[in-house]
Amino acid sequence: MIAPPGTVLGLSAVLFGIGVFGFLARRNIILMFISAEVMLNAVNVSLVGFSQQLGDPRGQVLALFVIAVAAAEAGVGLGLVIALNRNKPGAGVENLTELKW
Amino acid sequence: MTSFAAQATFYYMAAAAVVSALVGVTRKNPVHSMLWVLALFLHVAGIFLLLDAEFLAAVQVIVYAGAILIFYLFVVMLLDLPGEEARPRYGKHWLFAAAAGLSFGALAWLAQVEMPDPERAGLAPAARQIAAAGPPRGSLRDIGEALFGPFALPFEMASLVLLAAIIGAVVLARRRGAES
Repeated sequence: MIAPPGTVLGLSAVLFGIGVFGFLARRNIILMFISAEVMLNAVNVSLVGFSQQLGDPRGQVLALFVIAVAAAEAGVGLGLVIALNRNKPGAGVENLTELKW
Repeated sequence: MTSFAAQATFYYMAAAAVVSALVGVTRKNPVHSMLWVLALFLHVAGIFLLLDAEFLAAVQVIVYAGAILIFYLFVVMLLDLPGEEARPRYGKHWLFAAAAGLSFGALAWLAQVEMPDPERAGLAPAARQIAAAGPPRGSLRDIGEALFGPFALPFEMASLVLLAAIIGAVVLARRRGAES
């Protein structure tokens, strides 16, 4: 037993909170995506912690799927960023108001 | 590794992960941000290693740090953001964002606090009881058997998701008049 079981979950909680803060507060769209990656990593930490605590490999399998989905999200999201940047240079989200009514 | 050294390593990794995440989401320069988040990913890989998830640690280093983050860095360099340093980095609502992050973290933290009343105990004591009952598993062999046994269908679906993402990224990033 390396750490008490709650410690891993607490670390995951703190990392997730940092990710939420970054996603909501930053105005650069790429840094918002990076904050989302921080949140996904926090979830992976808690999944692996549960996997070790419960002695069950399924937590690690779920973490693998999370990584696969994160890769897909990065691909589509950055494709969107490049497409947006072609219409309107810059990466600030405050300029993207075409969908507002 | 002795138990004390392992514990000290774990707490170092946890502290360094929290610090690099905090610095990473607050830097002004996007490239500096990416490098701090890279430090976060590597420390999370170390935590995986300490939690008996060797395969996942390798995947974290290769896929997250090696592929996804480099992809982000390439896009930052591709976009050429000259005014990024001059603009304010937070929106006007950053205090609300900080409150939301704090409350999310607090909620998730409360889920693991051990209650004195065993009837209303959180997740952590239950996990400890189950862990005491069975031998630890989680080697690469077990992951492979789970991945290609009960998780075979989700595993194949992950490849479909990635294929859809590849096609979507190509369609989105292609120039409008470029089809010939």
